[in-house]
Amino acid sequence: MVDPLSGGPPAGLPELRARQASLHLAQLPAVPTGDPGWILVEEGFTLAREHEVESLFAIGNGYAGSRGSLAEGSALSAPATFVAGVFDSKPGSAPELAPTADWTHLSTTIDGQPLRLDRGHNLEHRRILDMRQGILWREWRHQDEAGRITQLRALRLVSLADHHLLVQCVTIMPENFSGRLFIDATMTGPVVQVTGSGTTVAMAVARRVMDHAERWTPSTELVEGRQSLELRLGKTYRLDRIVALHTSRDTREPRETAGKHVERAIDDVAGVIAEHSDSWQARWEASDLRIEGDPTAQRALRFAIYHLLSAVNPQDDRVSIGARGLSGTAYKGHVFWDTDIFMLPFFILTYPEAARALVMYRYHTLAAARAKAARLGYRGAFYAWESADSGEDVTPPFVVAPDGQVVQILTGEQEQHISADVAFGVWNYWQATGDDHFLVEAGTEILIETARFWASRAEREEDGRYHIRGVIGPDEYHETVDDNAYTNGMAQWNLEVAAETANLVAERWPGPWQALSHRLGIEPEEPHRWQQVARDFYTGFDEQTGLFEQFRGYFGLEDIDLAAFVPRTAPMDVLLSRERIQRSKIIKQPDVVMLVYLLWERMPPEVRKTNFEYYEPRCGHGSSLSPAIHALVAARLGDTALAERYFRQAAEIDLADSMGNAVGGIHAGALGGLWQAAVLGFAGLRFCGEKPEHRANLPPSWRSLSMRFQWRGQWHELTLPKGAERRKAEEDP
Amino acid sequence: MSEPIILVPLDGSKQALAALPVAKVLGEIERAALHILHVGEHELAGDELRSRLGREASVLDGFTIDARVGTPAVEILQVAGEIKPRMIVMCKHSGAERGKMLGRTAMKVLHDAPCPVVLVPPERGATPWHLHHVLVPHDGTPSTSAALQPAAELAERGRAELLVVHVTDIRAAPAEPGSLTTPRYVDQPQHEWPAWTSEFINRLACVCPLGHLHVRIVLAHGDTAAEVLRLCKRQSTDLIVLAWRKIWEAPHAATLKDILREAHCPIMVVRT
Repeated sequence: MVDPLSGGPPAGLPELRARQASLHLAQLPAVPTGDPGWILVEEGFTLAREHEVESLFAIGNGYAGSRGSLAEGSALSAPATFVAGVFDSKPGSAPELAPTADWTHLSTTIDGQPLRLDRGHNLEHRRILDMRQGILWREWRHQDEAGRITQLRALRLVSLADHHLLVQCVTIMPENFSGRLFIDATMTGPVVQVTGSGTTVAMAVARRVMDHAERWTPSTELVEGRQSLELRLGKTYRLDRIVALHTSRDTREPRETAGKHVERAIDDVAGVIAEHSDSWQARWEASDLRIEGDPTAQRALRFAIYHLLSAVNPQDDRVSIGARGLSGTAYKGHVFWDTDIFMLPFFILTYPEAARALVMYRYHTLAAARAKAARLGYRGAFYAWESADSGEDVTPPFVVAPDGQVVQILTGEQEQHISADVAFGVWNYWQATGDDHFLVEAGTEILIETARFWASRAEREEDGRYHIRGVIGPDEYHETVDDNAYTNGMAQWNLEVAAETANLVAERWPGPWQALSHRLGIEPEEPHRWQQVARDFYTGFDEQTGLFEQFRGYFGLEDIDLAAFVPRTAPMDVLLSRERIQRSKIIKQPDVVMLVYLLWERMPPEVRKTNFEYYEPRCGHGSSLSPAIHALVAARLGDTALAERYFRQAAEIDLADSMGNAVGGIHAGALGGLWQAAVLGFAGLRFCGEKPEHRANLPPSWRSLSMRFQWRGQWHELTLPKGAERRKAEEDP
Repeated sequence: MSEPIILVPLDGSKQALAALPVAKVLGEIERAALHILHVGEHELAGDELRSRLGREASVLDGFTIDARVGTPAVEILQVAGEIKPRMIVMCKHSGAERGKMLGRTAMKVLHDAPCPVVLVPPERGATPWHLHHVLVPHDGTPSTSAALQPAAELAERGRAELLVVHVTDIRAAPAEPGSLTTPRYVDQPQHEWPAWTSEFINRLACVCPLGHLHVRIVLAHGDTAAEVLRLCKRQSTDLIVLAWRKIWEAPHAATLKDILREAHCPIMVVRT
């Protein structure tokens, strides 16, 4: 399990710098952070957990991400490094992130005996994810069958300062023997590969080894990464390896560029590491969220922020963040609504440059969304439920479930709310940043094309209302339903906002508007028609009860008491079967509650409460996105105890993973949701008017919450002592 | 390396002979010699012994036949200690113990055997047996994976399919580190299920090498024994392999007991 390191006062960055400056050359050129609030520690070694550990301890910079695999490997190791936007596909299957060569592979033998965790005795073994510095550390004391004790320390990072550099440093010290060490630091896999779509990925490596006399053996003298050394008792030896990674996505000559890049870097490994560490420091200064009084929540939030930051690249707006970031193979790197609805708010408020790249990805994939809509007979843009590099929908059409059933996957065609979700992200980005250039150049087009989709998708029926039939809402337990409240509500919102934006842009930027209307063929009356459609949309809202019906016929379904299944470790559709679930009111994740959350300001207080109280007990939380949203809404409604329970559940999705949830990568959407639960839920940060406000409901154990956020170009400090009352957030002087 | 041995205790009853077709096939798969053992009250040899082992004793031609005097379970375990068999194949109970889940001798052997024990239902009689489908209930723990190694090796050598049935315990995940049970969250089944299945096989394989074995994972929920018996029937299972923690007293071993009571196919019990 992951436990905090004990001992040691928190080490601030200046203190770390001082300690690093005093390091002996043969030691590692950096030191781990000591503060338990900034680190995750995996003590010992449990082979079967290895895939989980690899995901949780992944490192990345948004350009590339690398799993925290053991350098020497194990029976279950699955090392992988991914480059954002580099996909490959096998015939007949969906594109997936293409792993590069394993640059971390390092096998060592001492007098012919391999140094491995599954041989001899592990006197100590510890892996530390240093979230503050973005470094993965390893400490290992191993005794082989002949009694030789070897001490190994290592660090690994993917540079945040220079996105193309990957660094590994290892020290080896024979504690009680002298003998021959053989190091094999060859890369496993081709250093230059070309994907099926023609992207070239090139890696160049430079290595150097320091012997007992502190003499470096440079890269050119290492025969293909292999080196033999005579170890002297008590002396420390060090291997540095730097890899430069370039692709044809970012340079014409990736191989040559990588080669030159790495040769420059190998001479100043300490400098590369220091710059990386400084970059993380700067990033944390903007994005950190400090909780006093609850170290578990503090660490969980830092873990969430760390992985979100590791997955985003503000310099590349043609990539987005997949459901598992760059930390694993699961979900193939595909991008879902997780990014627009669950992750984006964190970036909008603490890293707007990164948020811009994410919304621009949706702009660059607009053509594919238009093509999808056209293929299905609609106007405008119907975004891919699962999107990779081109924006085409790459949702697999079926799956063989472990009970042997072949299940048809309908989300690609029916989870149409994705288009409104994309629009919602775009609107929120613009609202929070005031990035008018984005709105005029890209955002308006997305809002218009998604509105056009809804206007063509909804049909006016005999009751004079517009209806959308045959969809799946966020609650994916119920397929092919009519008038899903979330879909209709968000479509209605999309239409209204598109009309508002069109009018705004026409008024404020008439030139660009004319060009856009001409290019898109926007009729003068079109925005007005969107408003009409929005006004006449069927919403499923019952004024008598104050409830939204999740979809037509929902209230007539079987009510199953979920409390009878507590405690429970499996999702309800597994326990009751898909068919039974579909006939019941049990929902997978917030649907109406999600609508209430996203359109909070439009909902009267009693409607928020009534719907939460109705749907919350009926939610089976079969999605990792579910607990955080329940925490958020419960906190806003003032039910702090319930909110805290859901917050803990959300925090444990990856961190308390004893059930293998994280084996294929961390849950980036759930991590974004966790951050939202803390900031937009407990802290109650809201943007109702021109100034941000907060209405805090902190958990009793949280003595304070403090953070910085950016609103329309201005940084704000938010510091909430327990019991803080509603007030405006203070601007930075 | 000496030839592997399969120990086949026969008590002279017709029911006991049900173990033979199973033992013979297992012997062929394992390239093991069958070591027939009869424990009686008097010393028997030659035709007398063959006659004591039943009217169809001609099927014993070519096998080592060993006769001992004493208490059957004690002698079986004594011989097992001496010859170190790869497994013991025996009938669940003798004719006199009809209706019992396990006979007294089988129970004692099961408890103390130094190797896997294959328990054959007497109602199988002399019907020929083959090994095409091996069914293994698995609670997702590494210790169960490790215990299943003999079964995996047997299935691979016999070119049989290994059907691993994970029956979800909905109330609590196993506490053993490295356990894998049904995922709590299935965000997108088109991604989660293939990944989960692959992970289950990977975790099984890292402690129980699967070689070229054809493995299929089936997820079920409900009562483990009932699910195993249901799937056993549906999948035409030839052998059920059960990992047992060697605690017999209730509430432990409930699944083992139910399967021993109800299954119509042989059951191999391996200890964790």
